[in-house]
Amino acid sequence: MEVETAVSFRPGELEVDSSGAGHLLGSRCASCGAHFFPVRQACAGCLGTDLEAVRLSTTGTLYTFSIVRQSTPEFEVPYALGYVDFSEGVRIMGQISGCDLEDIWIGMQLSLSVEPFGEDEDGNQLSGYRFRPTEAGSGGGS
Amino acid sequence: MTDVHILGVGMTRFGRHPDSDASDLGAEALLEAIADAEIDARAVEAAYCGHVFQGMVTGQRILAQVGLAGLPLTNVENACSSGATAIREASLAIRAGEHDVVVAIGTEHLTSRFRGALTPDPSDPEAAVGATMPGVYAMRARRYMEEFGMTREQLALIPVKNKGNAARNPLAHFRTPITVEEVLESRPIADPLNLHDCSPVTDGAAAVVVMSDRAAGRFANGRTVRLAASALRSGSVDVEPTSMTFEPLTWATARDAYEKAGIGPDDIDLAEVHDCFSIAEVLRVEGLGLFEQGSYPTAVERGEADIGGRLPINPSGGLIGKGHPLGGTGVAQVVEVVRQLRGEVGDRQVEGAKVGVAHCRGGKAVGIEGAACTVQVLVR
Ligand SMILES: [Zn+2]
Repeated sequence: MEVETAVSFRPGELEVDSSGAGHLLGSRCASCGAHFFPVRQACAGCLGTDLEAVRLSTTGTLYTFSIVRQSTPEFEVPYALGYVDFSEGVRIMGQISGCDLEDIWIGMQLSLSVEPFGEDEDGNQLSGYRFRPTEAGSGGGS
Repeated sequence: MTDVHILGVGMTRFGRHPDSDASDLGAEALLEAIADAEIDARAVEAAYCGHVFQGMVTGQRILAQVGLAGLPLTNVENACSSGATAIREASLAIRAGEHDVVVAIGTEHLTSRFRGALTPDPSDPEAAVGATMPGVYAMRARRYMEEFGMTREQLALIPVKNKGNAARNPLAHFRTPITVEEVLESRPIADPLNLHDCSPVTDGAAAVVVMSDRAAGRFANGRTVRLAASALRSGSVDVEPTSMTFEPLTWATARDAYEKAGIGPDDIDLAEVHDCFSIAEVLRVEGLGLFEQGSYPTAVERGEADIGGRLPINPSGGLIGKGHPLGGTGVAQVVEVVRQLRGEVGDRQVEGAKVGVAHCRGGKAVGIEGAACTVQVLVR
């Protein structure tokens, strides 16, 4: 499949590589090890300022969710919105895709998925992220 | 250090005001508060004005309408706590000894600025992925149901109670009581929340006149209520994911306020809390320490939070019934508590109320547990 160069909708938070895969970007405190999303300039745990940029893990657990049925014009409703907990100790909000809205449950495993997500001012397609159910055993997703 | 006293309160009708703007509404509320205080407007030394979306120098536009020129005036933005923060700033100016008579105004003409669901600021990473305020509270509701077994019907009893109270409040946005069935059958907004679970888009304003000991003695009008504490905190950054079914921010702010006022949760006779959504009332009253965590839904079922119950919550109708003009909200809560403590509210009166609390909590930003929270303690 021919892949055009994907452009992240928010390069400070989502890094997208040429294969179309990606990572969410956060900060790790060099002093106490705490992780943050999005990138911070100082650590809220120890107030240390020695923070390094890190790629966050891509699989997490759904803490809670809602089906949003009224939103702003740029989002087509309904969509599933959830908070996903990652092993680094960060909780990240995102939409949930790749399954029926009725098949979402607290505690399910979800994986980061880079997907078309709006356009820039010139009408070029942007890449954003959603979370998809992790396929049993493979940890992959499609 | 001087105590802080409220001698005058004013409030517009809450609802849709297509023929006015935020400064018209603010001026109406301010003039009523000054008249209620029974003072000459020239006695006012400084002003604070809370609003969110009304643009530059809204407070100056209000003062210009009422002829008060030249005062030090500060416009305050703190999301849904903007008006409450204006009151806190006014109280600090009194406590610092800088002024003796200060007004705080909260105003919003929201129908001309917003339609539908409010969202965090567009720069926020959560807004960028589709966060709406109803969506965020709906997620907290679902988690609360999972952890504490609250049913959808129990949650619906909160809008039923608050719109029932609003029906007794001539200034409220909604004046018609509703049933559990009507809540459950209203339009879905963000599952499990429906339209009746949400506070409306409202225009309105409120104002208070606060004074030092010295001024309160000089202008004594027999209706003085003491602002025993006015606490403010902003949300702390999550170092690790924390529970979304409890509110450390509300509890920390409440603790500050209770300590300053020298009271505890057991001393409180009524509370106006920030019920922007039905689930929010649950989280607020438990965060304030007024009900044990997980217990509020059954307490509501037993009528404990009704006017006439063990601890009336939102006798004014709350944000859900009275309406939620962002900047106006926190000041209107204080207006309601003052009028309750004075015994002026007719058939929604909480009998014998001596101590009341007003709680506001507003705003959303990625990675913090709430943005701005205020807790004010009023004593008669
Ligand atoms: Zn640290």
